[in-house]
Amino acid sequence: MRYGDFTPYDLVLLLQGLGVSLALFVSTTLIGLVIGTLWAVIRFYRVPVLAQLVAFVAELLKNSPVLVQLFLVFFGLPAFLKINVTPTQAAIITLSGNSAAFIYVIAVSAIESVGRDQLEAARVFGLSRWQILRRVIAPQAAAFAIGPLTGLLVNQLQVTSLISVIGVMDLTKVGNILNLRTLKPFLVWTAVGALYYIAAKLVAHAGARFEKRLRAHTAWKGL
Amino acid sequence: MISITGLRKSFGATTVLNGIDLEIRKGEVVSVLGSSGSGKSTLIRCINGLEKVDAGRITVDDFDVSKPRELAEARKRSGTVFQLFNLYPHMTAAQNIALAPVEVLKVPRKEAEAEARRLLQQVGLSERADAYPAQLSGGQRQRVGICRALAMKPSYLLLDEVTSALDPEMTAEVLSILANLAKGGTTMVFVTHEIEFARSISTRIAFLDKGLMIADLPTEEFFSEKGMALPRVAQFLSKMRKD
Amino acid sequence: MKFDLSIIAKHIPFLLEGAWLTFQACLLAIIGSLVFGLLVAAARTSASPLLNRLSAIYVDIFRNIPFIVQLFFFYFGLPEIGIYIDAFTTGVIAMSVAGGAFTSDVVRSGILAIDPGIIEAAQVSGLKKSTIFRKIVMPIALRASVRPLGSVFINLILTSSILSTITLNELTGSAKIVASQTFRPFEVYFVLLVAYAALTWFVSILIGMLHRHLNRNQAEGAV
Repeated sequence: MRYGDFTPYDLVLLLQGLGVSLALFVSTTLIGLVIGTLWAVIRFYRVPVLAQLVAFVAELLKNSPVLVQLFLVFFGLPAFLKINVTPTQAAIITLSGNSAAFIYVIAVSAIESVGRDQLEAARVFGLSRWQILRRVIAPQAAAFAIGPLTGLLVNQLQVTSLISVIGVMDLTKVGNILNLRTLKPFLVWTAVGALYYIAAKLVAHAGARFEKRLRAHTAWKGL
Repeated sequence: MISITGLRKSFGATTVLNGIDLEIRKGEVVSVLGSSGSGKSTLIRCINGLEKVDAGRITVDDFDVSKPRELAEARKRSGTVFQLFNLYPHMTAAQNIALAPVEVLKVPRKEAEAEARRLLQQVGLSERADAYPAQLSGGQRQRVGICRALAMKPSYLLLDEVTSALDPEMTAEVLSILANLAKGGTTMVFVTHEIEFARSISTRIAFLDKGLMIADLPTEEFFSEKGMALPRVAQFLSKMRKD
Repeated sequence: MKFDLSIIAKHIPFLLEGAWLTFQACLLAIIGSLVFGLLVAAARTSASPLLNRLSAIYVDIFRNIPFIVQLFFFYFGLPEIGIYIDAFTTGVIAMSVAGGAFTSDVVRSGILAIDPGIIEAAQVSGLKKSTIFRKIVMPIALRASVRPLGSVFINLILTSSILSTITLNELTGSAKIVASQTFRPFEVYFVLLVAYAALTWFVSILIGMLHRHLNRNQAEGAV
């Protein structure tokens, strides 16, 4: 292998990077979904102090750069708490928290999209708050949230690229390595960009299909 | 003179105008009547070039509206007032009126604004010259719409159901202005549902039914036995009067 | 370790220098985004199928590829084709191009939301196409777009932190230096995070004020 040239192995490297990006994307999205929904439930129950705290943290995470959040976790936490944080751990913590903040906002507006009259009707029938949340609100809110959620996921997929800065071997980091070795920036970054593009399109496509299925499920099918 | 010959227009499979001939001479007030969907509004939209005609020819003072270059001239000679006013929401009443004179006729801005205020005074809106459309009532908006058309000093005024979106009180406001204009000798093509009003101001009535012009008569004749002899006209008039 | 902010105090002038650079980059990028965005929105809503197509492709690409990849593409790529510009200029260009894609989407939906009757009124009064665009379409579309454009610009401010990855010592870049000098990364990045959040909060208030000011005469029934 002559220094500087592309090798077939580089393709494997790129796909490996893509795999790391996607794995982190999927795992942090799932964690974010759980945490974000939990936060929204806390708000729904108007838990004192906790509800305000959650709203404040979400606001802070939404309105600050992910890169800074990443630095805070990766450089800040180990120094402050005297613990060891690997790049991957820092990436998972940061991306999950960031996704949670945005999912919280979507979930809150999805819950609020369900008409107040329905809640009152359900209360009249004697349903508990938890039953109302599960039986009345959740199905409708999910249908409402899927559109904004798809938009968010396409965005969060791109946000994962920032973890390359703290050394996670994701697609962008692989791009960096190939860029330095081959000195063919146009080719390298076009290839990296194309892979991200395809992944983003797949996410958007999957979201659209899922939405269609969900809507078909709730749509009136006749008698 | 506005001259329409053999005008045909369809939207997809629906034929809206199916061979219309009509002439409007200077000084005439021609009301176009007909039930909804008879193609009245489309006729106006063909005259001012908002719809492309499929066949036939429309000229305004000999300028062919199907030719882009001549359309500009034709549009300078005709002013349109719309059913839903279509005022520019980000401009005051006076600015709405002065825009086209400044941009198209190259009238100095000061002069155009003064003229706008004079027109607004004529329609009883001198107090509202600096109000925005959202701050005006429907009747006031339509009066501004009429001023906007008049500001271009058009030879012909095209009125497309200008009172359909207004309640009776506001309708009266607008119609009294139109009556004044008619008295003053403004040439008008008046697409409307206001039969009694059409009768009082028009020199001629054109009646459209299913894309065909089935009557084109002087006003008195239209409302006499001659018009009533046409079954569709009789039916239409009796129905409208009942409503 | 205790949370001690006093260590940062003497580095504040240095951080403010970084903030000044962030401010300049963001201001120029916002202007650039507006210029690109308006041109592309005009192309996307024009009658020319070719312009439609090209502008749609531009928006699609730059919305679906991570900004850091776009930035590296320009930063490493441009010198390869003989264009030598500094990191600041590269950053501003990359932000303008990416921001332009988002801006054009916002402006485009603002244009498409205009009542066609208003455009027809302008056409029949004999106004030229260019006049209609300048005097009618743009003012109406931009007024309606103040809030969504504000979100795009706030995102741009957050995105500007990524410029630190191409050696630009803007706010985040400066903070990195301070963090490594003071050995207090947690405090530094925490302050930075709050600073960005405060900044975007402040900007969003300004945008709200601008929106109300520009639309003060547009509310039904307002006198």
